Amino acid sequence: MTGENPLVERYLAKLDAGLRDLPAAERAEVVSEIRNHIAEATAAGKPIDAVLSALGPAEDLARGYAIELLLNRPAASRDTSRTRRFLALVGLVVIGSIPTLVVVTVLGGVGIAFGAAGIIVFLAGVIATFGWLPDYVTMDVAPWVAVLIGPMLAIAGGASLALLVWYVRFTARLVRRVIPKKTAGVDVRDVMA
Amino acid sequence: MSVTAIADWTSQLRRGVLELCILQLLRREASYGYEIVTRLESLGPLAAGENTVYPLLRRLKTEGLLDTFMQESPAGPPRQYYRLTADGRRRLATLEKEWAAMVTAVERATRTGVES
Repeated sequence: MTGENPLVERYLAKLDAGLRDLPAAERAEVVSEIRNHIAEATAAGKPIDAVLSALGPAEDLARGYAIELLLNRPAASRDTSRTRRFLALVGLVVIGSIPTLVVVTVLGGVGIAFGAAGIIVFLAGVIATFGWLPDYVTMDVAPWVAVLIGPMLAIAGGASLALLVWYVRFTARLVRRVIPKKTAGVDVRDVMA
Repeated sequence: MSVTAIADWTSQLRRGVLELCILQLLRREASYGYEIVTRLESLGPLAAGENTVYPLLRRLKTEGLLDTFMQESPAGPPRQYYRLTADGRRRLATLEKEWAAMVTAVERATRTGVES
């Protein structure tokens, strides 16, 4: 039959690629239906070129399926997916809120405190080097130790703030994945119009 | 009205009516994709391309108006037959009523348009 025709295989491969937004099982059924159509039409005596051109470009056919199946999804499945998305969001908030509270408090506190302390200790060390600070302030710590430790504290503070920024970006990405962008649906409707 | 505008209007009209025609076509007996396409082709202005009919068949199936079963064909691979479900029959009855009302309304509008 037509199973081995490279023209047909290329057409079906393009169709399959165009259907990537559909579930795998549905994709396979669609491709097999079009394969059967081609087999029936050629068995009825139509030349393969005419059969393929009647089907139209594989991309257009795939788009036809996308419009019918993704836009006109039955209300029931749209509801369950909305419920599932809501549950995912609740789960995310429950799981994420306590760690976020801890992480933001600890990293933010450490970041600001260490950063500020580092700068003050460094400056105190510099000032103490010239002997302008009384002993009860330096507490017998050698000035060069303060000059050395100050920047290290500041670096630790900066690293902690950088970690905080990374954490915020990471959670933002998670939230965005659970709450889909509205534009996806609008695109399909634009195609329809 | 330009040629493309008319073609666009016809295709939109057909898109809406096609669902009714496919359900009607399957009212008495089950049929498979290729047969449905060729029977629609013989209906002149209704002749919708394969790239409209197949996606529509698929959607009617996901909506539960049609279901499918496989049957051996005398030659070639087994055929996937479509048949009406109970929901499909109900939808067909509703669409037929809607269609009749639509035709009456359009005819009346056309007639009064001509008379005035």
